[in-house]
Formats: sequence, structure tokens, C-alpha cells
Amino acid sequence: MSIQQKSEPLVRMEHIAKVFHPDEVNEVALFQDFNLTIREGSFVSVVGSNGSGKTTILNLLCGSIPVDSGKIFVRDREITKLSEYAHSRFIGRVFQDPAKGTCPQLTILENMALADQKGKPYGLAHGVNRKRVDAYRGQLELLKLGLEDKLEVTVGSLSGGQRQALALLIATMTPIDLLILDEHTAALDPRSSETVMELTKRVVKEKHLTALMVTHNLRFAVRYGDRLLMMHRGKIVLDHEGAQKSALEVRDLTDRFNEISIEDGN
Amino acid sequence: MKKNLLKKVSAFVMAAFLATAATGCGSSSSSTGASSSAASGKKTIGVIQFATHPSLDNCYEGFKDGLAEGGFKEGENLTIDFQNAQGETANADMIAKSLAAKNYDMIGAIATPAALSAYGATKNAGTPVVFTAVNDPVGAQLVNSLDNPGTSCTGSSDVLPLEAQVKMIRAFLPNAKKIGVLYTTSEPNSISMLEKFKGVAANEGFEVVEQGVTNSSEVASGATALAAKGVDCFNNFTDNNVVNNLSSELQAAKKAGIPVFGSEVEQVKNGCLASQSIDYVALGKQTGLMAAKILKGEAKASDLPVYTVEDATPVYNETVLQEMGLSLPSEYQTAEKVTSAK
Amino acid sequence: MDVFFNLILAILEEGFIYGIMAVGVYITYRVLDFPDLSVDGTFPMGACLTAVLISHGMNPWLACLCAFFAGTIAGGVTGFLHVKLHITDLLSGILVMTALWSVNLATIMGGKATITIFNSNTIFNSGLAMLLPNAAAQFRVVILAAAVCLLIKYLTDAYLRTRSGLLLRAAGDNAQYVISLGKDPGSMKILGLMIGNGCTALSGSILAQQAGSANVASGTGMVVMALASVIIGTTVFRKAKFMRATSAVVCGAILYKACLAGAMQMGLDTNYLKLLMAVIFTIALVGNQITLGRRKKQHVDPTKI
Repeated sequence: MSIQQKSEPLVRMEHIAKVFHPDEVNEVALFQDFNLTIREGSFVSVVGSNGSGKTTILNLLCGSIPVDSGKIFVRDREITKLSEYAHSRFIGRVFQDPAKGTCPQLTILENMALADQKGKPYGLAHGVNRKRVDAYRGQLELLKLGLEDKLEVTVGSLSGGQRQALALLIATMTPIDLLILDEHTAALDPRSSETVMELTKRVVKEKHLTALMVTHNLRFAVRYGDRLLMMHRGKIVLDHEGAQKSALEVRDLTDRFNEISIEDGN
Repeated sequence: MKKNLLKKVSAFVMAAFLATAATGCGSSSSSTGASSSAASGKKTIGVIQFATHPSLDNCYEGFKDGLAEGGFKEGENLTIDFQNAQGETANADMIAKSLAAKNYDMIGAIATPAALSAYGATKNAGTPVVFTAVNDPVGAQLVNSLDNPGTSCTGSSDVLPLEAQVKMIRAFLPNAKKIGVLYTTSEPNSISMLEKFKGVAANEGFEVVEQGVTNSSEVASGATALAAKGVDCFNNFTDNNVVNNLSSELQAAKKAGIPVFGSEVEQVKNGCLASQSIDYVALGKQTGLMAAKILKGEAKASDLPVYTVEDATPVYNETVLQEMGLSLPSEYQTAEKVTSAK
Repeated sequence: MDVFFNLILAILEEGFIYGIMAVGVYITYRVLDFPDLSVDGTFPMGACLTAVLISHGMNPWLACLCAFFAGTIAGGVTGFLHVKLHITDLLSGILVMTALWSVNLATIMGGKATITIFNSNTIFNSGLAMLLPNAAAQFRVVILAAAVCLLIKYLTDAYLRTRSGLLLRAAGDNAQYVISLGKDPGSMKILGLMIGNGCTALSGSILAQQAGSANVASGTGMVVMALASVIIGTTVFRKAKFMRATSAVVCGAILYKACLAGAMQMGLDTNYLKLLMAVIFTIALVGNQITLGRRKKQHVDPTKI
């Protein structure tokens, strides 16, 4: 595999084991000795069938579920035992559900003001810093959705696509080490999905982020990112980077899916 | 901004109340007549009775009798706005404030919680408050002293004849060792009575076992628990909650085969074995007479000494006596006899 | 009409005092979406603690502060039970309410069920209150009660505009968002409960001073009173853009008291008082649903009131 640039490994998952529903009828030993390294600046797409473990990788990285054994490192700092909110300090996440990424009863301005404070203490200073409003407006203009004129509108009244774009912005507003995109266009209509994906590409590029995207949409997986992983039953069955990844087409992926299914005896 | 808010609020409430005031003023002409009563000789008073049970009911009957004897007959030259607080302090507070707003000539209060609410609501206005069935008016800060109230309150106090009661229990049950007391933890009278009772009971060689309950639903289980502690009998104070739920207490005692000594004749009629009973009707009547004096302007509440009842009448229930297989002690041969209603 | 005037005065007095509690319950119930039953215990705790302290000669304003802090501790316990021990919100409140009965009776009151403070210095008959001219004596209570209520209201409004307050609102709106910000939503919940119960205890403290006595049983039904005030306030004043939610709930408390007092003036038998409270509350709840239409929250839980 030819590597375009040599960069530091940002995220390392080493010897991860994870069993779901241990000692029960539906016990699933998903990961037994799972390893994954993501280099800085990489934009990784992950595809796979249901139960393949792609979402579990995200959850383990974000700390929303614990590992059974193994270690996870971000920039050489072990984060395996940290709580979910401690993870969030350097990992941004955009969820599939547009409702999860923003506060519906607060205005866009308030949402952004809160996100702006991430990593700094939330004391008794004024919640919305008026001096930063222009900065917020500038950021919203990048989205090209007209949200910069709607600062005082409550987020709950925005459409799913708008909310998701805002969620993306909020997740990347303050410096983060890793951006996790958890099927973030799955709940949107096709047009909004396109808009949000283009936005994602732009934001990742402009902010030089390392990103990990799980998606069901094979077209997106092929089109976006510089590395593609295909998961099946807790194992990586495809891993293409750089030029090899650019050469991939959707048909290659579906062919591989079929191969696996036949191997499985489906 | 604060004035603005107040204005808006007052405006809203005023608007909402125009209708109420119209109907209210129209229907109860007697309440508006209160301010002009001095000239006509007609008086309007409010009465708060804390709870419905026989002792307090008797008080109220006596109160009206006393007022009548003092020259104020209900319906003729006296209107009474009677309210019952259903045994809840919050209700008593609300009623007191409502009565206080009507500027009556006097407020009557039956039982300590009602008296506290009444006094609290009328303290600033100075409306005379006449209380009855209050155990410890000085402790409750209703008056400065029994002889010289010094406040806008006066009335009558029903301190229980504890020594006589204990002697009676000893006479009926010569071999008894433990007296059980069921009381409500949120009633101050009961708690102060309990302390005094322990001392008095020890003089006759009794040990007092107590069981506290917090509300009416706990009376039955509390009584059962108390009976299980091996007491030889129960003894009641003027605990509003317990007396209100007398039947539950009696049932539990009956199951354990032990008698209940009441604090008043009505309780004995309802199934208690015996009691050194304060005549609540007489107590109420004395209070009514005092109230009449104040209404006539012959005396002020701050100068009228608090009337404390002196005598207790022993009373026993013949039916219960026979059911329990006990015999009537010689010293009570002439005691008042009642039988249970069939 | 003299009677009418007295009545309005009494309603405003009580409305402002209970309004303090309404602001507290607004924070826990509306902002944090936490139905806090512990107010049935913190309200009398404030009342009893104040009565005990005042009868021992403490400065009444200081006693108020002590009551507030006692309330915050109780609220903190409720929060701890819910956040750290993962007990449900309803049960956490019930546990604290039940425990406080004993704490109030045995520890604070020393076994006495009622303490009267007719002869002690309260905020209404000493200190600041005496600055008012004698002519305004009958307005002393309503002015002071309104002053304290509005102070609490403004402090709360100011707080909700700070960064911490904004985070609190976010915690009640979307806990996941707070997690994404790297903060623990549980801590915000505990903080909110502390503030809410502090206000409730303060409300009890002031009521005890106004009534002249404190009783351990005075908290029964307070949660209904508080929730009704919040819901009536936010429903009736929903369209009023000029009014903040905190003002609305204070007005809600005043309105609720007005309804009850009005009913009693019209001759309603006290036996029906509880039924009336239930009816008013139901009307407010139904009115709330009708005017709101579909709730703004994404996931409507049919078990939530």
C-alpha cells in the first residue's frame, strides 16, 4: 500500500476485546483482538453490514461503551478508562439523529456560544459574548444555508439538514483531535445529505481535521475520504488507502460484500 | 420594572375579581354589615374548628350556648361564619386568612392549631380571638400569662387531669404495669402531654410505652404495633388525629384484648372503657360567655384571664366493662355510666 | 370595599411568598425536566429551621439565608441519589421528602411539632421592615414579600444568562449536548436541584415568619402547589412575549392563590378545597397541552406530565 504522506498515528486501538451480552443466550464476542491505527490528517470511511462492529468502534472511541480489554490511545495518551464527557474534550461527534447534536430550545446563538466555551470554565460570566457574534456569523456564512440571519431562532424550528450542518459546525468549532461522524447523513433527505457531505469535506479540509466516518451510503464512502475500511463480524476485511482508495468504485464494494456473504454461507 | 410587574399583576387579579366581588358582596350582605354592626348591635363572628370529632363538636355547641346566655343568639343578633379545617393546618391557615379579610368582630378558634392560625392572621389587625380546647396557651405564645393575656387572645384551656386519670387506670387494672400511648407526632399538645404523663404515671408504678404516628392512615398500624409491645391498656390524650380515628384504635386494642382509656366522655360512649372526662360542653360555654363579654364591649381580650377547667368527671362504659370481664372499682360506684350504642 | 381590599392584599402576600418556591420549581421542573417531590420536605425544613433559629434570637434575615442553604443541601442529596446512585427522579425526591420528615421533626424541632414565633423578631416586624412609615404598616408584609420574591426572580434570570446558567438549560434540553461539550450533565442537574430546593426552603422560611409559627406538617401538598403555579403561569402567559418565564410562574402562584381564596370567599365548603385544587390543576395542564400543540421536544414521553 502506498502512503501519500508519513504522519503521526493519532489514534491507536490495541488488542481490543468486546463481548456483548456475556453469559446470555445472545452473547456476541464482537472483537477479540481488534487493532486499528489512524494517522493524523486522515479521513477514514467505514462501511459494513449491520453487526459488523463499525458503530461499536465509534462508541468505544467516544467512551459511550467500555472496552472489555485492550487500550485506546489518542496522541499517545491512553483514554480507555475516561468517562464519556471526558472523551468529548478532544473528540467531536456528529450523530445520526439531528436532534442530538444541538439544543432545540436554545437559539442558534446560544448553541454556538456554549460550544465556543468548550474546554474553558463555565462560570458566571455572560453566557453569550456579544463580541463574538460576528465570528459566529462568519462561521455560519460558510455553511451557505442562510443561518447567519437566524441567530435568534430556536434550533428546534430548523430543518433536519440545517440542524445537522449546525451540529457539524458546533462539533468542530473548538480544536479537536478527532472528528467522528456517526452515519450523520442517514436521517436526511438526499439533497440535504449531499449538502451536509460537501460541508463535511470542506470543514475537514479547512480545519485539517482527522475524521472517522461510518456510513451506509457506499457512494459517499467511495467519494469522500482518503481511506476506506470495510468491517465484517468485528474484523477488517478491506483496507484501502490513497491511490488504491481513489480507484475504488461502488461496484468493487458490492462485489466484496457478496463475496463475504457467500463465504458466510448466506 | 418591579412597579410595572406589580401593576400588571394587580390589574389582572383585580379584573378577575370584579365578578367574584360582585357576587360575593351581593349574596352575603351580613359580612359587609360587619363594619356597621357597632351601631345596630348585631355581631358577626368567624369560627374555625380544627377537626371534626366529638370533643371539639361539644366545644362548639357549648360555645354557642355561652354566647346565647351572654345575649347573642345566632340568627337574631349574631351571625356565625363557621368553618372546619378537616384536621389540616394548611386549611386552618387559609380559612383564618379568609376570615381575617372579612373584618369580623371576633374569631373563635377551637383547638390549638386553629388558634395559632387565627392569631397569626389577625395579629396585626387586632381582631379579638377567643380560643377553646387549647392545652397550653402560654407555651403556644397566644397569651403572655394565663391571668393576664396581654394579647388579642383569650379563651379556655383544657389541661388534662392526668393524675386523676392515672389513678383511675390503677383502680380498674390493679395489676397493670405498662400503659400504651398512641399520639400524632405533629400535634404539639400530645407531645407536651406525653412528657407530663410519663412523670405522673411513674408515681403510680406505671411504665409508659409510646407509639408515634404521622397521619390518619397510620393510626391502625400504630395501634397494632403498640399493642404488640405488651401494654396492658391504651390511654388517649386530646390528640386530634387519634381521636378522629378512634375506631381503628379500638379495633386494634380489642384484638389484643386490652381496654382503652379515653380523654373525654364521647370517646367512652364510642367504646373506650373509662375516662376522667372534661366536660367540653361546659368548657365551650364558659368560652362563649367570655366571648359575649368581649362583644358587648364589657371587657377586652387582653384583660380577661384564661379559664382553665378544674373538675373532671369520671365516666365509664358498662358494656365495655362487661365485655372485658372487669369489675367496677368501689371509688367509682357513683361515676357516670354510659353504654355503647347498639 | 374593605373586604375586597383585604383579600387582594392577602392573595398578593401569599402569592409572592409561594412565588419564590415557584421560581425554584421552575428551574427543576421546566428547565431541568425533573419532577422534584422533595419540595414537600424542603418547604417545612425552611420553615422549621427559621422558627428554631429566630426563637433563639438569630437575626431573621440571617435565618432566611440559613434556610436557603439548608435547602440547597437537601437538593444536593436528591441530586446525588439520582445522578450518582441512578435512582429515578421521582423516587429520589420521595426518598428525600420522607427522610426530611424525621430530620425536621427530630433534629430541627427537637421533637416539637409546632414552634410559635409570635413574640420573636421576624423580617416583618424588625430591622428593615421598620424603615417603612407607620402609615404603610399593613403593607409591610406584601412589600417585603414582593421585594424578596422579585430579588430571587432577578437573580435567577441573571444566572440563567450566564455561561453556567446556559449550560444548565442545555443539560435540561439535551444532556448529550452537554456531554459533547466535555461537561457532566449530572453535575448540572445536581446544581439545579440545589438552587430549586434552596428557593423552596427560603419560601417556607418567609411563610413561617408571616404566619407566626412553623409546623412540620406544613409541607404536605406543596409540590402540587408549586407545579400548579409553574404550569398555570407558563400556560396563561405563554403569549406574553414581554414576560420572562420566571415572572410568569410568580404570577401563576398569585393566580392559583387567587382562585383558591376566591372560591372560599364565594362560600366554598373547605371539604371541597382539595377537589378544587385538582380541578384547577387539571384545567391548567389541559390548557397547557392545547396551547402548546405538539411539544417542541423531539421525543414526547407519554408518561411525563
